[in-house]
Amino acid sequence: MEVRKTKQLTKMALALTAACVTSIMAPMAHADTVRVTVAYYSDQTEPYFKKMAEAFTKANPGTDIKIEMVNWDTLQQKLQTDISGGSNADLAIIGTRWLLDFVKDDVAEPLDGYMDKSFKNRFIGAFLAPGQISGKTYGLPIAASARALYYNKEQLAKAGFPNGPKTWADVIAASKKIKAAGSYGFGLQGKEIETDVYWYYGLWTNGGEVVGKDGKAAFASPAGIKAATLYKSMIDQGLTQPGVTNYSREDVQNLFKQGRVSMAISAPFLAKQIKKEAPNLQYGIAPIPMGTTNATYAVTDSMVMFKNSKVKKSAWKFLDYLFTKAPRVAFTSGEGFLPTTKEEATAPQFADPDTKAFVALLPHARFAPTVTGWEDTAKAVSDAMQAVYLGKAKPADALKKAAEDANKALGQ
Amino acid sequence: MVLDKTKLRRSLICWVALSPLLLVIIFPFAVMFFTAVKPPEEVFTYPARWWPSHFRWANFADMWQAAKFGVALKNSLIVSLSSTLLAIAVSIPAAYALARFPFRGKGFYRQFLLVTQMLSPILLVLGLFRLASMIPYGDGNLVDSHIGVIVAYAAFNIAFAVWMMSSYFATIPRDLEESAWLEGCGKIRAVFKVFLPLAVPAMVVTAIFTFINAWNEFAVVYTLIRSEENKTLTVQITDLVAGRYTVEWHLVMAATLAATLPVSILFAWLQRFLVKGLALGAVK
Amino acid sequence: MTQSASSRPMMPWLLIMPSFALALFIISYPFFNIVFQSVHDVSRFGMIRDFNGLTNFLKVMADPVFMDVLRRTLIWTVSVVGGTVLVSVPVALILHQDFYGRGIARTVVMLPWSVSLTMTAIVWRWAFNDEYGMVNVTLQKLGIISGPIHWLATAEWAFPVEIMVGILVSVPFTVTIFLGGLSSVPGDIYEAARIDGATPWQMFRKLTLPLLRPFINMAIVLNVIYVFNSFPIIWVMTQGGPSNSTHILVTYLYELGFRLGRPGEAAAISLVMLSMLMIFTGLYIRMQPKESGEA
Repeated sequence: MEVRKTKQLTKMALALTAACVTSIMAPMAHADTVRVTVAYYSDQTEPYFKKMAEAFTKANPGTDIKIEMVNWDTLQQKLQTDISGGSNADLAIIGTRWLLDFVKDDVAEPLDGYMDKSFKNRFIGAFLAPGQISGKTYGLPIAASARALYYNKEQLAKAGFPNGPKTWADVIAASKKIKAAGSYGFGLQGKEIETDVYWYYGLWTNGGEVVGKDGKAAFASPAGIKAATLYKSMIDQGLTQPGVTNYSREDVQNLFKQGRVSMAISAPFLAKQIKKEAPNLQYGIAPIPMGTTNATYAVTDSMVMFKNSKVKKSAWKFLDYLFTKAPRVAFTSGEGFLPTTKEEATAPQFADPDTKAFVALLPHARFAPTVTGWEDTAKAVSDAMQAVYLGKAKPADALKKAAEDANKALGQ
Repeated sequence: MVLDKTKLRRSLICWVALSPLLLVIIFPFAVMFFTAVKPPEEVFTYPARWWPSHFRWANFADMWQAAKFGVALKNSLIVSLSSTLLAIAVSIPAAYALARFPFRGKGFYRQFLLVTQMLSPILLVLGLFRLASMIPYGDGNLVDSHIGVIVAYAAFNIAFAVWMMSSYFATIPRDLEESAWLEGCGKIRAVFKVFLPLAVPAMVVTAIFTFINAWNEFAVVYTLIRSEENKTLTVQITDLVAGRYTVEWHLVMAATLAATLPVSILFAWLQRFLVKGLALGAVK
Repeated sequence: MTQSASSRPMMPWLLIMPSFALALFIISYPFFNIVFQSVHDVSRFGMIRDFNGLTNFLKVMADPVFMDVLRRTLIWTVSVVGGTVLVSVPVALILHQDFYGRGIARTVVMLPWSVSLTMTAIVWRWAFNDEYGMVNVTLQKLGIISGPIHWLATAEWAFPVEIMVGILVSVPFTVTIFLGGLSSVPGDIYEAARIDGATPWQMFRKLTLPLLRPFINMAIVLNVIYVFNSFPIIWVMTQGGPSNSTHILVTYLYELGFRLGRPGEAAAISLVMLSMLMIFTGLYIRMQPKESGEA
C-alpha cells in the first residue's frame, strides 16, 4: 500500500511539474515559426512540403513550419514585394539565376557557417556549384533537371531512326518522312519562358556560347547564325508544328503527348506526365541532337535563407532535414527531377532508364551562368528568335541587335 | 393577353440585330461549359470537338478540391461584402455633401476622385504591400490579413460610389427634408428619417457595383494575401493556370464557371434596377 | 435651424472627410513609393540603392521599344474605346426598345461583366489555342477557314483579337450607362418629332445623340482611364509578345519591373502614364461644355 501511495504521489508530482513546464514552455513553443516560400512545381509539391513540415515539427516540437505556395509565374513579383516590404519568409525556393541579385542586395545568408564538410559532401558537386558565389555557398540545390530529346518511338521507327536521331541532320531527315506521313516532326517552342533556351540547344551543339569569357554576349556568332538558320529552315520546310510563336513549353509538350509532334526537347518531368496522361505513348529519350558537339542545358533551383530571418537556427535545422535521404528521394521522385545528393542517387527510384538517360547527359551540361543581366539576355534572345521564326528579321541582324541589348545589362 | 403584332415584329428585328453580339458574348461561356464537363483525356484530343463523349460532372467535385473552392468562396464573400459596406458607409455622407451643399473645394474633391481611378492597381501593389507591412496588426502586420484587402478595395471604389450616389441624391427633392424640419424634426434626424429611405435604391445599385469590382479584383488581393486559408476565388483559380508545367483546363473552366455563376444570377435578378440606378447616377 | 448650408462651411467637409481620408490614406503612400523609386536605382528585389535623378526616365525614353509601345498604347486605347462606343450606342438603342425578351437580352449583354478580366482573358486564350481551341474548331466546321489560324502567333492577328476582347468586356458597362441616359429622355419629344415628319435617322441625329452626349463623354473618359490601364487581357493572352509586338505601356512596365528586375524604370513609366491620363482628362473636360465634365 505504502509503495502504491508513494507511486501515486510521485505520479501526481510529475504530472504537476509537467503541467508547469508545458505552461511555461507553451508561449515559447510557438515563438519559433519558420516561414518557407515554396515554388509550385506540380500538384505533388504542396502535399510534400506539408508532410515534411509535419514530420519535422513532430521531431522538433516548438518549431512550426509555415509553407507558402507561390506560382513560378509570379514568384519574382512576390519575392520583390516581400523583400522590399521587409516581410519576406525565412527560407525560399528561388531560381538559381536570381542568386547573384540576392547576394548583391545582401538579403541572402551565407550558409557555410552552418555546414560542416560532411554536409557539403552530401551534394553532387556539379549541382552545388551554381549556388556558390565568390567562394561562399548561398543556395542549396533543391531541384535539378537537365534536358534531352524525347522522341515518339513508333513514328521515328517508321522514319528510319528507331533509336532516335543523333544529329540535327537526322532530325531533318526524320521530320521530312514524318511530315510526308501527315504529322509534325520537331516540336519547336516559340513563346514565353525558356524560348531562349530552346534555341541555345542549337547554339551549344554547334559549338557556340551564350556569354563569353569576357562576360559579354557571345551568341551572335557563326554558331548562333547557324542554329537560328537551322530552326528557321525547319519552320519554312514545314518540319515543325506551324505557328511556333504561339507555342509555349507546355503547348509543345502537349503536342508530343498527343503524338502530334514526334520530337521535342524537355526535362525529366515530361516522362512523368506522359506516364500519367498518355500511358500508351511509346517514347524514347536521346541526347540533344549533335551539330559539331554534345551539349545540354541543366538548371537548378535553390533553397536560400534570408539574412533578416529571426529563426535562423530552426530554419537551418529544417534545411538540414530536407536534405537528408528520405525527404530528398520523396521530393525528387515525386516531381520528376534529378537527384542532387549522392545518397538519394543510390535509391532504387532513380535506377529507371529515364533518369539514367538524363544523368548520363550531365557531363556535357551547361548551367545558366551566374551573371547579372541573365534575364535581360533571355528576353533579348527570345525576342530575336521570335522575329526570326516569324520571318521579320534575318538571323544575323536579329542576333546582332539582341547582343547589343543583352550587353547593356550583362555584368552591370 | 393578345400578342401585339407590331411588337412581335419589332422583337424579331431587335433579336436579329443583337444576335452577332450575343453570340460573341455567349461564346466564351460555351467554351467554359463544354471544357468544364469534358473527361480530362478529351480536353486535348485532335481534332478537337465541342461535345464531350459523356458529361463528366465529377470535374466540379475535383475542382472543388483542387481550387479549395469552399474556403476561397467564403473568403471572397467576406472580402467583397465588407469592402462594399465600408465603401458605401464612407461614400454616403460625401455623396450627400456633393448633392446638397455648394462649397469651396467641391471641384477639387471631384478631381481627386478621378485621379484615384487613374492609377492602375498593378502600379500600386508594391506600395500597398509596403504600407500593409508597416501597419502592426495582431502579432504581425496587415500582410496576409483580409482587413488590408478590404480597406484597399473600399478606397478604390469610393470614386464610383460617390459619383453614382451623389447624382441620385441630387434628384431627391430638397423640400421633403425641409418640410420635416418645419415639423420640428432635427436636421440630422431628417436625413435619417426622410432622406436615406428614399436613397435606398441608389445605395443598392452602388453596392452591387462595388461588390462585383471586389469579387473580380486580382492584383491587390494576390499581393496582399499569402496563405491558402485566406486566398480568394480569383487568386485560387489563377493559381491553377499561372506558370504550371501542366494546366488542367477542365478544372480551370469548371472553377471559372462556378465563380461566375453567383454574379451572373445577381445580374439577371437586378438588371432592371441597375439600369435605373445608373440612369440617375451617370450625370447629375 | 433655418441657417443655410453654405453659411456653415465646415459641414460639407466633415461629410466628405471619411471618404477623402480613406482614399488618400490608401493612394498616397503607394504613389509616393512610385515617385521615390522613379528617381532611385532600385535592385531586382526592390532594394533602394542610390538617388539617380532622372536617369530612369532618360533610360526609358532612349529605349526604342518604349516609343513603339507608346504608339501601340494609343492605338489600343483609341480602338478599344472607339469600338466600344460604336458597338454600345446601337446596342443601347435596341435594348431601350420595348420588345419581347428584353430582360433576357439585357442580362446576356451584361454577362461579360460578371467574369473577372483575368478569367475572361484565360478563357479566350484557351479558345484561341491553335489545335484545341474552339474558335478554330468552329470556323473550320462552318467551312469559313480550311486550316487552323495561328491567332496568337503573330501580332497581325493577336493584337486585333485582343482589341476585340477589350471591346467585349467594356461593352456591358458602357451600354448600361447609355441605357441610363436613354431612360432619362422624355418620350413625348419623339412623338412630337414624328408628327413633324422626322425620319428615324433625323431623330437619332437631332434628338437622341445630343441627349446622349454627356453620357457618351462620361463613358469615353472612364473607359479611356480603364482601358489605358488594362493589364490582364494582353498579359494573359500574349505577354506582350511575340517580339514585343503586342505590348502596351502597362504590360511593358510590368515586364520591366517584375520580370527584368528594373523597378525604377517601371516606376518612371507609371508616372509617364499617369501624367498622360491627367493631361487627357484635363483637355477633354475643358473641351466639353461645363455640365458634362463633372462625371
